[in-house]
Amino acid sequence: MKAKLLGLASALAILTATAGAHAETVLLSMKGPGAGNPFWAAVEAGAKEKAAELGVDLVVLAPPTESDVQAQIAQVEDQLVKNIDAMAIAPTDPNALGPIVDQAIAQGVGVVFVDTKGINDGVTFIGTNNEVGAALAADFICKNIDKGSDVAILQGIITQSTGKARADGAKKGLTDCGLNVVAEQPADWDTAKAQAAMENILTGNPGLKAVFASNDNMALGVVEALKSAGMLDQVMVVGFDANPNAAESILAGEMTASVAQNPMNMGRFGVENALKVKHGETIDAIIDTGTVLVTKDNAADYK
Amino acid sequence: MGSKALLLRYLDRFGIIIVVLLMIAVLTYLEPQYFLTFRNFSNILKQIAENAMLSLGMLLVILTAGIDLSVGSVLALAMMCLVMADIVGGWPWWIVVFIGPLVGIAAGLFNGFGLTLLRLPHPFIMTLGTLFAMRGLTNLISGGVPYSGLSDPVRFLGSAQIPLSFLGPGATLPVSAIVVAIAYIGISLFLRRAAVGRHIYAVGGNPNAARVSGINVDRVLLLVYALCGFFAGMGGLLTAGRTNSGFPLAGQGAELDAIAAVIIGGASFFGGRGTVLGVLGGVFIMGLLRNGLNLQNVSPFWQQLLIGFIIILAVWIDVLRRRAAVRT
Repeated sequence: MKAKLLGLASALAILTATAGAHAETVLLSMKGPGAGNPFWAAVEAGAKEKAAELGVDLVVLAPPTESDVQAQIAQVEDQLVKNIDAMAIAPTDPNALGPIVDQAIAQGVGVVFVDTKGINDGVTFIGTNNEVGAALAADFICKNIDKGSDVAILQGIITQSTGKARADGAKKGLTDCGLNVVAEQPADWDTAKAQAAMENILTGNPGLKAVFASNDNMALGVVEALKSAGMLDQVMVVGFDANPNAAESILAGEMTASVAQNPMNMGRFGVENALKVKHGETIDAIIDTGTVLVTKDNAADYK
Repeated sequence: MGSKALLLRYLDRFGIIIVVLLMIAVLTYLEPQYFLTFRNFSNILKQIAENAMLSLGMLLVILTAGIDLSVGSVLALAMMCLVMADIVGGWPWWIVVFIGPLVGIAAGLFNGFGLTLLRLPHPFIMTLGTLFAMRGLTNLISGGVPYSGLSDPVRFLGSAQIPLSFLGPGATLPVSAIVVAIAYIGISLFLRRAAVGRHIYAVGGNPNAARVSGINVDRVLLLVYALCGFFAGMGGLLTAGRTNSGFPLAGQGAELDAIAAVIIGGASFFGGRGTVLGVLGGVFIMGLLRNGLNLQNVSPFWQQLLIGFIIILAVWIDVLRRRAAVRT
């Protein structure tokens, strides 16, 4: 019995030793656990798929909540002891994670940021290009209403890069195809504020044909304003994020469309490019993970 | 005193060290390649410094049969104040490094005055109030926005490392560990040698008896909450140095980690009983567990579950131990 156990143990030791000698290890450090948040679950799934394809070992870790900055620092620190080769990280707090990312780079680990850009210079950011996503929404609006129609844009918090990029992308797309942007108002990502803003816009522009809201929460506020004005059938509403409640709204025929980010790609591109950095290849400073238009046809996938 | 009683007394005192050594043995077995390396131990020391500071203050408070729920928020407030003085204010470093501890003492005194002057029924209530209030103040002064890029001397205590490369690659002694060591030795001496230190135990054991025997209970309580605030402020200074930033989310839930370490360390929740060595053991047990599970790539959900059971187990062992002690 004892000999058997010993044999088993040594076989295991050899197995792990050989595995360790060949496969490289990539750490995916996310802001929050995949269990409970479909967004991070998709990032994790994409990373797993790519790791399996490339034949590398993948370690996925995340703090229990997105506010637990210290836990994420400790997790990365502990993995650096194990000499990981590459790391794709979504920092819970870009400033606080700065020193540990620097330490990883100094140790020769290939590092990329996914989803959220960090503060460390020269590290590639892999995530959603919000301007491109908003242009996608604008393009959809252009194709579905007559040229010269009145349209409105509801902005998020415009001092944030995401809010600015979405508002800019939509405005450019809508004006370039010959639509008439009659109102641009900030509603701070908030449903109630969007509803109030929309009520005011409708008062001055009764002929409005479409609204781009920079996120779904605001788009849902717009829908409520249109409902109470009895104009929901005349105005098309396009949001951003493709949240589950927005998908429901699209299926119910209230919102017309939304724009989905592609978290699977964040995981895929993250693993692939972190390894490229490790191997000394140069990669772009910003890599777009792409956006998808969500309409009645595919909204069921986002419920 | 029989030999059995003597053994029990030693177990009572040093049992926690045996538990820590046992954990180190198990984790070494599970992760032979990386766990027992100097580099990993440097990491563990860095990771436990914040909780070590908060737990030491929490011990003093719990010894008086009190509780301080505000330490996590006070840590964040102290951190944000010193970080903004450094980055926004551009104050000289030799003033900035004192801001954290001073803000901590001020917050601690505020808790103490609330307790002694307002005669609130239990410190739970006063410090629950300041848990919210101090977090709110932290967000107000920072606008809810993180700041980063501290000057090097301000970072020194939290981030500097003394290289010990003769021990092995990556082996360092974090300066924060030295700060922890000084604080623990200092408080240990204070509790045993100073008259006020012994008064702290007396107040927790039986406040009425303490009052009758001429101890100024209110003054002891003020001192204890001020010290607890001081250590929270030190925690803020160390964490700011370690992360090179101040972020208003810092220390959320840290009060629960500190209470857990004190309880695992064998202190009585009803006051009058607990040691500095026990708390250090409690801090190490939690730090080793998290580090070991991180190395094993175990989900943080399991870490929460395990730490929960360890708290229950630690107190249960304490109950058994005391029952056995009564029998002999």
